[in-house]
Amino acid sequence: MSCESVREKLTAYLDGELEGERGSAVRGHLRGCDACRQIAADEAALRDGLRSLPPLDPPASLWAGVQSRLAAEEVKDAERPAWGRALTWLRPRALHIGFATVALGAAIVLLVMKLQRDDEQQVAVKPPIQVPVPEIASNNPEPPRAGQCNTTPSDDKDVSAAIAAEPAAITACYAQTVSELIEVAKEARGEWPADRQRDFDIELEALQEKVVRATDERPRQQAYRKMIRYLQRAVVRDDVALANLGGQQ
Amino acid sequence: MKRPRGAPSPQGARATRFARTRGDRLGLGRALLFVCVLSATASADVTEKSRVEVQPPGKPYKQVSIDNSLGNVRIEGHDGKNVIIETIKRAGTDEAIERLRISLVPDPDGTVRITTHADPSPESKPVARSAVSIDVVIRAPRGARFDATVGSGKLEAKNMDAGGELDSASGAITVDNVQGELYTHSVSGSITINKAFGDVDAATVSSDVALDSISGQKLVASANDGKIAGRRVRSRDIELTTMTGKITLEAEALPRGRIVVSSMRGDVEVKLRRQAQTAMVVRGRGTKVDLGSTPVTVLGKWQEAKLGSGGEATVVELRSNHGFVQFLQLAVIQ
Repeated sequence: MSCESVREKLTAYLDGELEGERGSAVRGHLRGCDACRQIAADEAALRDGLRSLPPLDPPASLWAGVQSRLAAEEVKDAERPAWGRALTWLRPRALHIGFATVALGAAIVLLVMKLQRDDEQQVAVKPPIQVPVPEIASNNPEPPRAGQCNTTPSDDKDVSAAIAAEPAAITACYAQTVSELIEVAKEARGEWPADRQRDFDIELEALQEKVVRATDERPRQQAYRKMIRYLQRAVVRDDVALANLGGQQ
Repeated sequence: MKRPRGAPSPQGARATRFARTRGDRLGLGRALLFVCVLSATASADVTEKSRVEVQPPGKPYKQVSIDNSLGNVRIEGHDGKNVIIETIKRAGTDEAIERLRISLVPDPDGTVRITTHADPSPESKPVARSAVSIDVVIRAPRGARFDATVGSGKLEAKNMDAGGELDSASGAITVDNVQGELYTHSVSGSITINKAFGDVDAATVSSDVALDSISGQKLVASANDGKIAGRRVRSRDIELTTMTGKITLEAEALPRGRIVVSSMRGDVEVKLRRQAQTAMVVRGRGTKVDLGSTPVTVLGKWQEAKLGSGGEATVVELRSNHGFVQFLQLAVIQ
Protein backbone atom coordinates (compact mmCIF):
# COMPACT_ATOMS: atom_id res chain seq x y z
CA MET A 1 0.00 0.00 0.00
CA SER A 2 1.46 3.39 -0.99
CA CYS A 3 1.76 6.39 1.34
CA GLU A 4 -0.57 8.35 -0.93
CA SER A 5 -3.38 5.84 -0.73
CA VAL A 6 -2.93 5.47 3.02
CA ARG A 7 -3.17 9.23 3.52
CA GLU A 8 -6.37 9.32 1.45
CA LYS A 9 -7.89 6.72 3.76
CA LEU A 10 -6.50 8.21 6.95
CA THR A 11 -9.64 10.21 7.87
CA ALA A 12 -11.88 7.19 7.41
CA TYR A 13 -9.41 5.04 9.35
CA LEU A 14 -9.33 7.48 12.31
CA ASP A 15 -13.14 7.63 12.21
CA GLY A 16 -13.19 3.84 12.58
CA GLU A 17 -14.92 3.43 9.21
CA LEU A 18 -12.35 1.02 7.70
CA GLU A 19 -13.18 -2.50 8.70
CA GLY A 20 -11.46 -5.83 8.26
CA GLU A 21 -8.64 -6.10 5.74
CA ARG A 22 -8.77 -2.45 4.66
CA GLY A 23 -8.26 -1.27 8.21
CA SER A 24 -5.61 -3.89 8.76
CA ALA A 25 -3.74 -2.81 5.63
CA VAL A 26 -3.66 0.82 6.77
CA ARG A 27 -2.63 -0.25 10.26
CA GLY A 28 0.11 -2.40 8.79
CA HIS A 29 1.39 0.47 6.67
CA LEU A 30 1.40 2.83 9.64
CA ARG A 31 3.49 0.35 11.58
CA GLY A 32 6.17 0.47 8.98
CA CYS A 33 6.03 4.08 7.73
CA ASP A 34 7.31 6.77 10.05
CA ALA A 35 6.09 9.66 7.86
CA CYS A 36 2.50 8.39 7.63
CA ARG A 37 2.47 7.51 11.30
CA GLN A 38 3.47 11.10 12.10
CA ILE A 39 0.67 12.49 9.90
CA ALA A 40 -1.83 10.12 11.52
CA ALA A 41 -0.66 11.20 14.98
CA ASP A 42 -0.99 14.92 14.03
CA GLU A 43 -4.48 14.33 12.63
CA ALA A 44 -5.53 12.43 15.74
CA ALA A 45 -4.12 15.18 17.98
CA LEU A 46 -5.99 17.85 15.99
CA ARG A 47 -9.24 15.93 16.39
CA ASP A 48 -8.66 15.51 20.12
CA GLY A 49 -8.00 19.25 20.37
CA LEU A 50 -11.22 20.12 18.49
CA ARG A 51 -13.23 17.77 20.68
CA SER A 52 -11.90 19.48 23.79
CA LEU A 53 -13.15 22.94 22.68
CA PRO A 54 -16.35 24.23 24.41
CA PRO A 55 -19.59 23.99 22.34
CA LEU A 56 -20.37 27.20 20.39
CA ASP A 57 -24.01 28.32 19.87
CA PRO A 58 -24.68 30.02 16.48
CA PRO A 59 -26.25 33.50 16.52
CA ALA A 60 -30.06 33.63 16.23
CA SER A 61 -29.84 35.69 12.98
CA LEU A 62 -28.06 32.74 11.21
CA TRP A 63 -31.00 30.34 11.76
CA ALA A 64 -33.55 32.99 10.64
CA GLY A 65 -31.57 33.56 7.42
CA VAL A 66 -31.48 29.81 6.62
CA GLN A 67 -35.25 29.51 7.16
CA SER A 68 -36.04 32.47 4.88
CA ARG A 69 -33.88 31.02 2.06
CA LEU A 70 -35.62 27.63 2.33
CA ALA A 71 -39.02 29.33 2.15
CA ALA A 72 -38.03 31.23 -1.00
CA GLU A 73 -36.88 27.96 -2.69
CA GLU A 74 -40.17 26.24 -1.80
CA VAL A 75 -42.17 29.11 -3.37
CA LYS A 76 -40.06 28.79 -6.58
CA ASP A 77 -40.72 25.03 -6.71
CA ALA A 78 -44.46 25.55 -6.38
CA GLU A 79 -44.48 28.05 -9.26
CA ARG A 80 -42.52 25.71 -11.62
CA PRO A 81 -44.57 23.46 -14.05
CA ALA A 82 -44.79 19.65 -13.44
CA TRP A 83 -42.39 18.73 -16.32
CA GLY A 84 -39.84 21.17 -14.88
CA ARG A 85 -40.02 19.44 -11.49
CA ALA A 86 -39.51 16.04 -13.22
CA LEU A 87 -36.41 17.38 -14.99
CA THR A 88 -35.10 18.65 -11.66
CA TRP A 89 -35.52 15.10 -10.25
CA LEU A 90 -33.79 13.52 -13.27
CA ARG A 91 -30.85 15.92 -13.50
CA PRO A 92 -28.71 14.49 -10.65
CA ARG A 93 -29.47 10.94 -11.89
CA ALA A 94 -28.62 11.64 -15.53
CA LEU A 95 -25.18 10.01 -15.32
CA HIS A 96 -26.56 6.77 -13.85
CA ILE A 97 -29.33 6.58 -16.42
CA GLY A 98 -26.80 7.14 -19.21
CA PHE A 99 -24.55 4.34 -17.99
CA ALA A 100 -27.48 1.98 -17.57
CA THR A 101 -28.63 2.63 -21.14
CA VAL A 102 -25.16 2.02 -22.58
CA ALA A 103 -24.74 -1.19 -20.53
CA LEU A 104 -28.14 -2.49 -21.65
CA GLY A 105 -27.27 -1.77 -25.28
CA ALA A 106 -23.91 -3.52 -24.97
CA ALA A 107 -25.56 -6.56 -23.34
CA ILE A 108 -28.08 -6.84 -26.18
CA VAL A 109 -25.31 -6.61 -28.81
CA LEU A 110 -23.24 -9.30 -27.05
CA LEU A 111 -26.26 -11.57 -26.73
CA VAL A 112 -27.06 -11.27 -30.43
CA MET A 113 -23.40 -11.94 -31.36
CA LYS A 114 -23.27 -15.01 -29.10
CA LEU A 115 -26.47 -16.43 -30.56
CA GLN A 116 -25.09 -15.95 -34.08
CA ARG A 117 -21.79 -17.65 -33.13
CA ASP A 118 -23.61 -20.59 -31.54
CA ASP A 119 -25.56 -21.06 -34.76
CA GLU A 120 -22.34 -21.02 -36.80
CA GLN A 121 -20.69 -23.56 -34.48
CA GLN A 122 -23.64 -25.90 -34.79
CA VAL A 123 -23.27 -25.87 -38.54
CA ALA A 124 -19.48 -26.24 -38.85
CA VAL A 125 -17.60 -28.32 -36.25
CA LYS A 126 -13.93 -27.33 -36.18
CA PRO A 127 -11.36 -30.13 -36.44
CA PRO A 128 -9.27 -30.72 -33.27
CA ILE A 129 -6.00 -28.78 -33.10
CA GLN A 130 -3.03 -31.00 -33.88
CA VAL A 131 -0.16 -30.42 -31.42
CA PRO A 132 3.11 -31.77 -32.80
CA VAL A 133 4.93 -34.00 -30.29
CA PRO A 134 8.64 -34.31 -31.04
CA GLU A 135 10.59 -37.51 -30.58
CA ILE A 136 12.72 -37.40 -27.42
CA ALA A 137 16.07 -39.14 -27.61
CA SER A 138 16.64 -41.25 -24.50
CA ASN A 139 20.17 -39.97 -23.86
CA ASN A 140 19.68 -36.36 -24.84
CA PRO A 141 19.97 -33.98 -21.88
CA GLU A 142 18.96 -31.03 -24.05
CA PRO A 143 15.81 -29.49 -22.53
CA PRO A 144 12.81 -29.50 -24.87
CA ARG A 145 10.65 -26.50 -25.58
CA ALA A 146 8.03 -25.47 -23.06
CA GLY A 147 4.47 -26.76 -23.17
CA GLN A 148 5.26 -30.38 -24.11
CA CYS A 149 5.56 -31.96 -20.69
CA ASN A 150 3.74 -35.26 -20.56
CA THR A 151 5.13 -38.19 -18.59
CA THR A 152 2.84 -40.75 -20.20
CA PRO A 153 3.65 -41.48 -23.83
CA SER A 154 0.70 -41.70 -26.22
CA ASP A 155 -1.50 -44.77 -25.96
CA ASP A 156 -1.28 -45.66 -29.65
CA LYS A 157 2.07 -47.39 -29.08
CA ASP A 158 2.32 -50.97 -27.92
CA VAL A 159 2.66 -51.29 -24.14
CA SER A 160 6.29 -52.45 -24.31
CA ALA A 161 7.28 -49.46 -26.45
CA ALA A 162 5.28 -47.10 -24.23
CA ILE A 163 7.06 -48.33 -21.09
CA ALA A 164 10.43 -48.06 -22.78
CA ALA A 165 9.71 -44.45 -23.76
CA GLU A 166 8.46 -43.36 -20.34
CA PRO A 167 11.78 -42.68 -18.56
CA ALA A 168 12.87 -40.34 -21.34
CA ALA A 169 9.53 -38.55 -21.20
CA ILE A 170 9.93 -38.05 -17.44
CA THR A 171 13.46 -36.73 -17.94
CA ALA A 172 12.11 -34.34 -20.56
CA CYS A 173 9.60 -32.96 -18.04
CA TYR A 174 12.35 -32.31 -15.50
CA ALA A 175 14.50 -30.75 -18.22
CA GLN A 176 11.66 -28.48 -19.26
CA THR A 177 11.21 -27.28 -15.68
CA VAL A 178 14.93 -26.59 -15.40
CA SER A 179 14.81 -24.66 -18.64
CA GLU A 180 11.94 -22.50 -17.37
CA LEU A 181 13.67 -21.88 -14.04
CA ILE A 182 16.90 -20.90 -15.76
CA GLU A 183 14.97 -18.27 -17.71
CA VAL A 184 13.59 -16.87 -14.43
CA ALA A 185 17.04 -17.03 -12.85
CA LYS A 186 18.56 -15.12 -15.75
CA GLU A 187 16.21 -12.22 -15.03
CA ALA A 188 16.97 -12.27 -11.30
CA ARG A 189 20.71 -12.70 -11.81
CA GLY A 190 21.11 -9.19 -13.19
CA GLU A 191 20.27 -7.72 -9.78
CA TRP A 192 22.66 -9.88 -7.80
CA PRO A 193 26.12 -8.72 -6.68
CA ALA A 194 29.07 -9.94 -8.72
CA ASP A 195 30.28 -12.55 -6.21
CA ARG A 196 26.82 -14.07 -5.99
CA GLN A 197 26.55 -14.19 -9.78
CA ARG A 198 29.88 -15.98 -9.93
CA ASP A 199 28.87 -18.53 -7.27
CA PHE A 200 25.60 -19.15 -9.08
CA ASP A 201 27.32 -19.71 -12.41
CA ILE A 202 29.84 -22.13 -10.91
CA GLU A 203 27.16 -24.12 -9.10
CA LEU A 204 24.89 -24.25 -12.14
CA GLU A 205 27.72 -25.42 -14.35
CA ALA A 206 28.58 -28.18 -11.89
CA LEU A 207 24.96 -29.33 -11.80
CA GLN A 208 24.70 -29.24 -15.59
CA GLU A 209 27.85 -31.31 -15.78
CA LYS A 210 26.19 -33.99 -13.64
CA VAL A 211 23.25 -34.08 -16.05
CA VAL A 212 25.52 -34.48 -19.04
CA ARG A 213 27.64 -37.16 -17.38
CA ALA A 214 24.62 -39.27 -16.30
CA THR A 215 24.59 -42.51 -18.25
CA ASP A 216 21.03 -43.53 -17.54
CA GLU A 217 17.65 -41.81 -17.23
CA ARG A 218 17.27 -42.32 -13.48
CA PRO A 219 20.56 -40.61 -12.51
CA ARG A 220 19.81 -37.93 -15.08
CA GLN A 221 16.42 -37.30 -13.48
CA GLN A 222 18.09 -37.11 -10.09
CA ALA A 223 20.59 -34.56 -11.42
CA TYR A 224 17.75 -32.50 -12.88
CA ARG A 225 15.89 -32.61 -9.55
CA LYS A 226 18.97 -31.23 -7.82
CA MET A 227 19.11 -28.44 -10.38
CA ILE A 228 15.43 -27.64 -9.85
CA ARG A 229 15.93 -27.43 -6.09
CA TYR A 230 18.97 -25.21 -6.47
CA LEU A 231 17.33 -22.90 -9.00
CA GLN A 232 14.17 -22.55 -6.92
CA ARG A 233 16.24 -21.51 -3.91
CA ALA A 234 18.38 -19.16 -5.92
CA VAL A 235 15.42 -17.45 -7.54
CA VAL A 236 12.99 -17.28 -4.62
CA ARG A 237 15.50 -16.60 -1.89
CA ASP A 238 17.26 -13.84 -3.74
CA ASP A 239 18.48 -12.41 -0.44
CA VAL A 240 18.99 -14.48 2.65
CA ALA A 241 17.53 -12.86 5.71
CA LEU A 242 18.53 -15.09 8.57
CA ALA A 243 19.41 -18.64 7.80
CA ASN A 244 22.10 -19.53 5.33
CA LEU A 245 21.50 -22.21 2.75
CA GLY A 246 23.15 -25.55 3.18
CA GLY A 247 24.19 -27.90 0.42
CA GLN A 248 21.01 -29.91 0.61
CA GLN A 249 19.55 -31.91 -2.23
CA MET B 1 -13.85 -64.72 -14.40
CA LYS B 2 -13.86 -64.82 -18.21
CA ARG B 3 -16.82 -63.86 -20.33
CA PRO B 4 -17.02 -64.24 -24.13
CA ARG B 5 -16.00 -60.90 -25.62
CA GLY B 6 -18.83 -58.94 -27.22
CA ALA B 7 -21.58 -60.86 -25.39
CA PRO B 8 -24.09 -58.50 -23.75
CA SER B 9 -24.09 -58.66 -19.98
CA PRO B 10 -27.41 -59.04 -18.10
CA GLN B 11 -26.69 -55.80 -16.23
CA GLY B 12 -26.24 -53.92 -19.50
CA ALA B 13 -29.54 -55.24 -20.88
CA ARG B 14 -31.35 -54.32 -17.70
CA ALA B 15 -29.87 -50.82 -17.86
CA THR B 16 -31.05 -50.34 -21.46
CA ARG B 17 -34.57 -51.51 -20.61
CA PHE B 18 -34.65 -49.16 -17.63
CA ALA B 19 -33.72 -46.22 -19.84
CA ARG B 20 -36.38 -47.06 -22.44
CA THR B 21 -39.24 -47.42 -19.95
CA ARG B 22 -38.45 -44.22 -18.14
CA GLY B 23 -37.58 -42.37 -21.31
CA ASP B 24 -36.20 -39.36 -19.50
CA ARG B 25 -32.79 -37.87 -20.19
CA LEU B 26 -31.46 -38.42 -16.72
CA GLY B 27 -32.24 -42.12 -16.78
CA LEU B 28 -30.68 -42.52 -20.22
CA GLY B 29 -27.57 -40.68 -19.07
CA ARG B 30 -27.21 -42.94 -16.07
CA ALA B 31 -27.71 -46.02 -18.18
CA LEU B 32 -25.10 -44.87 -20.70
CA LEU B 33 -22.65 -44.19 -17.88
CA PHE B 34 -23.33 -47.66 -16.51
CA VAL B 35 -22.78 -49.25 -19.92
CA CYS B 36 -19.53 -47.26 -20.29
CA VAL B 37 -18.32 -48.54 -16.93
CA LEU B 38 -19.24 -52.08 -17.89
CA SER B 39 -17.46 -51.85 -21.23
CA ALA B 40 -14.41 -50.38 -19.51
CA THR B 41 -14.24 -53.29 -17.11
CA ALA B 42 -14.95 -55.69 -19.95
CA SER B 43 -11.87 -54.42 -21.76
CA ALA B 44 -9.67 -55.59 -18.84
CA ASP B 45 -11.65 -58.54 -17.66
CA VAL B 46 -8.90 -61.16 -17.60
CA THR B 47 -7.07 -61.15 -14.28
CA GLU B 48 -4.31 -63.27 -12.90
CA LYS B 49 -3.44 -63.18 -9.23
CA SER B 50 -0.31 -64.57 -7.65
CA ARG B 51 1.31 -64.67 -4.23
CA VAL B 52 4.97 -65.32 -3.54
CA GLU B 53 6.64 -65.51 -0.15
CA VAL B 54 10.41 -65.10 -0.02
CA GLN B 55 12.31 -66.35 2.99
CA PRO B 56 15.64 -64.76 3.86
CA PRO B 57 18.58 -67.17 3.74
CA GLY B 58 19.87 -66.01 7.11
CA LYS B 59 19.64 -62.40 8.16
CA PRO B 60 16.42 -60.53 7.42
CA TYR B 61 16.24 -58.58 4.16
CA LYS B 62 17.61 -55.03 4.41
CA GLN B 63 15.94 -53.53 1.38
CA VAL B 64 12.99 -54.02 -0.91
CA SER B 65 13.22 -52.45 -4.35
CA ILE B 66 10.41 -52.31 -6.89
CA ASP B 67 10.04 -50.73 -10.29
CA ASN B 68 6.52 -51.00 -11.68
CA SER B 69 5.57 -48.83 -14.64
CA LEU B 70 2.36 -50.75 -15.21
CA GLY B 71 0.26 -50.05 -12.14
CA ASN B 72 -0.03 -49.43 -8.43
CA VAL B 73 2.44 -50.36 -5.71
CA ARG B 74 1.73 -50.70 -2.01
CA ILE B 75 4.44 -51.50 0.52
CA GLU B 76 3.38 -52.44 4.04
CA GLY B 77 5.58 -53.28 6.97
CA HIS B 78 4.94 -56.35 9.07
CA ASP B 79 6.59 -58.03 12.03
CA GLY B 80 7.74 -61.18 10.23
CA LYS B 81 11.02 -61.88 8.38
CA ASN B 82 9.62 -62.92 5.02
CA VAL B 83 8.81 -60.71 2.08
CA ILE B 84 5.36 -61.46 0.71
CA ILE B 85 4.53 -60.24 -2.79
CA GLU B 86 0.99 -60.27 -4.12
CA THR B 87 0.36 -59.28 -7.71
CA ILE B 88 -2.71 -58.81 -9.84
CA LYS B 89 -2.30 -58.66 -13.61
CA ARG B 90 -5.15 -57.36 -15.70
CA ALA B 91 -5.55 -57.41 -19.46
CA GLY B 92 -8.20 -57.72 -22.12
CA THR B 93 -7.07 -61.08 -23.46
CA ASP B 94 -5.11 -64.14 -22.38
CA GLU B 95 -2.49 -63.30 -25.00
CA ALA B 96 -1.98 -59.85 -23.53
CA ILE B 97 -1.77 -61.13 -19.98
CA GLU B 98 0.89 -63.62 -21.03
CA ARG B 99 3.04 -60.71 -22.11
CA LEU B 100 3.04 -59.11 -18.66
CA ARG B 101 6.05 -60.19 -16.65
CA ILE B 102 7.08 -59.83 -13.03
CA SER B 103 10.63 -60.64 -12.09
CA LEU B 104 11.76 -61.26 -8.55
CA VAL B 105 15.43 -61.38 -7.66
CA PRO B 106 16.46 -61.88 -4.01
CA ASP B 107 20.06 -60.64 -4.00
CA PRO B 108 22.64 -62.05 -1.61
CA ASP B 109 23.37 -58.47 -0.49
CA GLY B 110 20.05 -58.46 1.38
CA THR B 111 17.91 -56.77 -1.27
CA VAL B 112 14.77 -58.13 -2.86
CA ARG B 113 14.35 -56.63 -6.33
CA ILE B 114 11.03 -56.70 -8.15
CA THR B 115 10.51 -55.35 -11.64
CA THR B 116 7.64 -55.53 -14.07
CA HIS B 117 7.64 -55.25 -17.82
CA ALA B 118 5.74 -56.22 -20.93
CA ASP B 119 7.28 -58.47 -23.55
CA PRO B 120 7.60 -56.92 -26.99
CA SER B 121 4.57 -57.26 -29.20
CA PRO B 122 4.43 -60.42 -31.28
CA GLU B 123 3.19 -60.17 -34.83
CA SER B 124 -0.38 -59.96 -33.57
CA LYS B 125 -1.99 -56.57 -32.93
CA PRO B 126 -0.31 -54.27 -30.38
CA VAL B 127 -1.81 -53.76 -26.93
CA ALA B 128 -2.33 -50.25 -25.60
CA ARG B 129 -0.72 -49.47 -22.29
CA SER B 130 -4.03 -48.40 -20.76
CA ALA B 131 -5.49 -51.85 -21.53
CA VAL B 132 -3.15 -53.71 -19.16
CA SER B 133 -1.98 -53.31 -15.59
CA ILE B 134 -0.02 -54.96 -12.84
CA ASP B 135 -0.76 -54.01 -9.23
CA VAL B 136 1.75 -55.09 -6.62
CA VAL B 137 1.37 -55.33 -2.84
CA ILE B 138 4.55 -56.03 -0.88
CA ARG B 139 4.53 -56.99 2.77
CA ALA B 140 8.06 -56.55 4.02
CA PRO B 141 9.80 -56.63 7.40
CA ARG B 142 9.41 -53.24 9.06
CA GLY B 143 13.16 -52.85 9.36
CA ALA B 144 13.75 -53.07 5.60
CA ARG B 145 14.36 -49.93 3.57
CA PHE B 146 12.14 -49.45 0.52
CA ASP B 147 12.88 -48.05 -2.90
CA ALA B 148 9.90 -47.86 -5.23
CA THR B 149 9.23 -46.37 -8.65
CA VAL B 150 5.94 -46.12 -10.53
CA GLY B 151 4.70 -44.34 -13.64
CA SER B 152 1.06 -43.31 -13.45
CA GLY B 153 0.02 -45.76 -10.74
CA LYS B 154 -0.51 -45.00 -7.07
CA LEU B 155 2.43 -45.50 -4.76
CA GLU B 156 1.87 -46.17 -1.06
CA ALA B 157 4.20 -46.98 1.82
CA LYS B 158 2.95 -47.78 5.28
CA ASN B 159 4.28 -48.92 8.65
CA MET B 160 7.95 -49.07 7.66
CA ASP B 161 10.78 -48.23 10.06
CA ALA B 162 13.92 -47.77 7.96
CA GLY B 163 12.80 -45.06 5.54
CA GLY B 164 13.09 -45.16 1.79
CA GLU B 165 12.63 -43.46 -1.52
CA LEU B 166 9.44 -43.17 -3.56
CA ASP B 167 9.52 -41.97 -7.14
CA SER B 168 6.49 -41.35 -9.32
CA ALA B 169 5.81 -39.72 -12.66
CA SER B 170 2.13 -38.85 -12.43
CA GLY B 171 0.84 -41.26 -9.80
CA ALA B 172 -0.08 -40.08 -6.32
CA ILE B 173 2.36 -40.87 -3.51
CA THR B 174 0.97 -41.63 -0.04
CA VAL B 175 3.07 -42.35 3.02
CA ASP B 176 1.70 -43.31 6.41
CA ASN B 177 3.55 -44.09 9.62
CA VAL B 178 7.13 -44.26 8.41
CA GLN B 179 10.40 -43.88 10.30
CA GLY B 180 13.83 -43.19 8.89
CA GLU B 181 14.90 -40.87 6.09
CA LEU B 182 12.17 -40.46 3.53
CA TYR B 183 12.60 -39.12 -0.02
CA THR B 184 9.57 -38.66 -2.25
CA HIS B 185 9.52 -37.05 -5.65
CA SER B 186 7.09 -36.82 -8.51
CA VAL B 187 6.58 -34.91 -11.71
CA SER B 188 2.82 -34.42 -11.49
CA GLY B 189 1.66 -36.82 -8.80
CA SER B 190 0.46 -35.45 -5.47
CA ILE B 191 2.48 -36.24 -2.35
CA THR B 192 0.74 -36.95 0.95
CA ILE B 193 2.80 -37.80 4.02
CA ASN B 194 1.17 -38.64 7.35
CA LYS B 195 3.12 -39.54 10.45
CA ALA B 196 6.75 -39.42 9.40
CA PHE B 197 9.25 -39.79 12.23
CA GLY B 198 12.47 -39.15 10.34
CA ASP B 199 13.90 -36.55 7.99
CA VAL B 200 11.62 -35.86 5.04
CA ASP B 201 12.49 -34.56 1.60
CA ALA B 202 9.47 -34.16 -0.68
CA ALA B 203 9.59 -32.59 -4.14
CA THR B 204 7.09 -32.30 -6.94
CA VAL B 205 7.14 -30.33 -10.16
CA SER B 206 3.46 -29.68 -10.76
CA SER B 207 1.36 -31.05 -7.96
CA ASP B 208 0.62 -30.48 -4.27
CA VAL B 209 2.39 -31.63 -1.13
CA ALA B 210 0.37 -32.36 2.03
CA LEU B 211 2.26 -33.02 5.25
CA ASP B 212 0.72 -34.05 8.55
CA SER B 213 2.43 -35.06 11.80
CA ILE B 214 6.04 -34.76 10.72
CA SER B 215 8.55 -34.99 13.53
CA GLY B 216 11.95 -35.71 12.03
CA GLN B 217 14.81 -33.27 12.57
CA LYS B 218 14.65 -31.95 9.06
CA LEU B 219 11.80 -31.30 6.65
CA VAL B 220 12.46 -30.03 3.13
CA ALA B 221 9.60 -29.76 0.65
CA SER B 222 9.25 -28.02 -2.68
CA ALA B 223 6.58 -27.67 -5.33
CA ASN B 224 7.39 -25.82 -8.49
CA ASP B 225 3.80 -25.33 -9.53
CA GLY B 226 1.66 -26.47 -6.62
CA LYS B 227 0.71 -25.91 -3.01
CA ILE B 228 2.36 -27.09 0.18
CA ALA B 229 0.27 -27.60 3.30
CA GLY B 230 1.88 -28.72 6.54
CA ARG B 231 0.22 -29.29 9.89
CA ARG B 232 1.36 -30.72 13.20
CA VAL B 233 4.99 -30.35 12.14
CA ARG B 234 7.68 -30.72 14.82
CA SER B 235 10.91 -30.48 12.89
CA ARG B 236 13.83 -28.36 13.99
CA ASP B 237 14.86 -27.48 10.48
CA ILE B 238 12.01 -26.72 8.06
CA GLU B 239 12.38 -25.44 4.53
CA LEU B 240 9.32 -25.14 2.28
CA THR B 241 9.55 -23.59 -1.18
CA THR B 242 7.11 -23.03 -4.04
CA MET B 243 7.22 -20.97 -7.18
CA THR B 244 3.49 -20.38 -7.67
CA GLY B 245 1.52 -22.21 -4.99
CA LYS B 246 0.38 -21.12 -1.55
CA ILE B 247 2.22 -22.43 1.49
CA THR B 248 0.45 -23.02 4.78
CA LEU B 249 2.27 -24.32 7.80
CA GLU B 250 1.15 -25.05 11.33
CA ALA B 251 4.11 -26.14 13.39
CA GLU B 252 5.93 -26.03 16.69
CA ALA B 253 9.07 -23.95 16.92
CA LEU B 254 11.77 -26.00 18.64
CA PRO B 255 14.78 -24.48 20.43
CA ARG B 256 17.53 -23.37 18.00
CA GLY B 257 15.21 -24.18 15.11
CA ARG B 258 15.28 -22.78 11.61
CA ILE B 259 12.09 -22.34 9.64
CA VAL B 260 12.33 -20.96 6.12
CA VAL B 261 9.13 -20.67 4.10
CA SER B 262 9.51 -19.05 0.69
CA SER B 263 7.39 -18.60 -2.39
CA MET B 264 7.82 -16.66 -5.59
CA ARG B 265 4.14 -15.91 -6.26
CA GLY B 266 2.16 -17.84 -3.68
CA ASP B 267 0.95 -16.54 -0.33
CA VAL B 268 2.72 -17.69 2.81
CA GLU B 269 0.68 -18.41 5.93
CA VAL B 270 2.50 -19.71 9.00
CA LYS B 271 1.14 -20.46 12.47
CA LEU B 272 3.65 -21.45 15.11
CA ARG B 273 3.41 -22.45 18.73
CA ARG B 274 6.51 -22.19 20.87
CA GLN B 275 7.74 -23.46 24.17
CA ALA B 276 8.00 -20.88 26.96
CA GLN B 277 11.79 -21.06 27.06
CA THR B 278 12.10 -20.67 23.27
CA ALA B 279 12.25 -17.22 21.76
CA MET B 280 11.37 -16.63 18.12
CA VAL B 281 12.80 -14.10 15.71
CA VAL B 282 10.39 -13.81 12.81
CA ARG B 283 11.22 -11.94 9.65
CA GLY B 284 8.73 -11.43 6.86
CA ARG B 285 8.92 -9.99 3.41
CA GLY B 286 6.11 -9.78 0.86
CA THR B 287 3.75 -7.44 -0.93
CA LYS B 288 1.84 -7.36 2.36
CA VAL B 289 3.26 -8.58 5.64
CA ASP B 290 1.28 -9.28 8.79
CA LEU B 291 3.34 -10.58 11.69
CA GLY B 292 0.44 -10.52 14.16
CA SER B 293 0.00 -8.24 17.13
CA THR B 294 3.68 -8.16 18.09
CA PRO B 295 5.48 -4.82 17.49
CA VAL B 296 7.62 -4.99 14.39
CA THR B 297 10.86 -3.38 13.35
CA VAL B 298 11.42 -2.48 9.72
CA LEU B 299 14.79 -3.53 8.30
CA GLY B 300 14.93 -2.58 4.63
CA LYS B 301 12.48 -4.84 2.79
CA TRP B 302 11.99 -6.99 5.85
CA GLN B 303 9.81 -6.66 8.92
CA GLU B 304 10.99 -8.29 12.10
CA ALA B 305 9.16 -9.34 15.25
CA LYS B 306 10.66 -10.88 18.37
CA LEU B 307 8.59 -13.16 20.54
CA GLY B 308 9.68 -14.44 23.92
CA SER B 309 12.97 -13.85 25.64
CA GLY B 310 14.56 -17.27 25.93
CA GLY B 311 18.17 -17.75 24.93
CA GLU B 312 17.59 -20.51 22.37
CA ALA B 313 15.86 -18.54 19.65
CA THR B 314 14.28 -20.09 16.62
CA VAL B 315 14.75 -18.12 13.43
CA VAL B 316 11.75 -17.90 11.14
CA GLU B 317 12.12 -16.50 7.64
CA LEU B 318 8.92 -15.99 5.67
CA ARG B 319 8.97 -14.61 2.18
CA SER B 320 6.76 -14.21 -0.84
CA ASN B 321 8.17 -12.15 -3.67
CA HIS B 322 4.73 -11.42 -5.16
CA GLY B 323 2.30 -12.58 -2.47
CA PHE B 324 1.14 -11.97 1.08
CA VAL B 325 2.97 -13.12 4.17
CA GLN B 326 1.04 -13.81 7.34
CA PHE B 327 2.37 -15.05 10.65
CA LEU B 328 0.44 -15.95 13.76
CA GLN B 329 1.76 -17.16 17.09
CA LEU B 330 -0.36 -19.92 18.55
CA ALA B 331 -0.29 -20.95 22.19
CA VAL B 332 2.88 -20.81 24.27
CA ILE B 333 3.60 -24.26 25.69
CA GLN B 334 4.58 -24.08 29.37
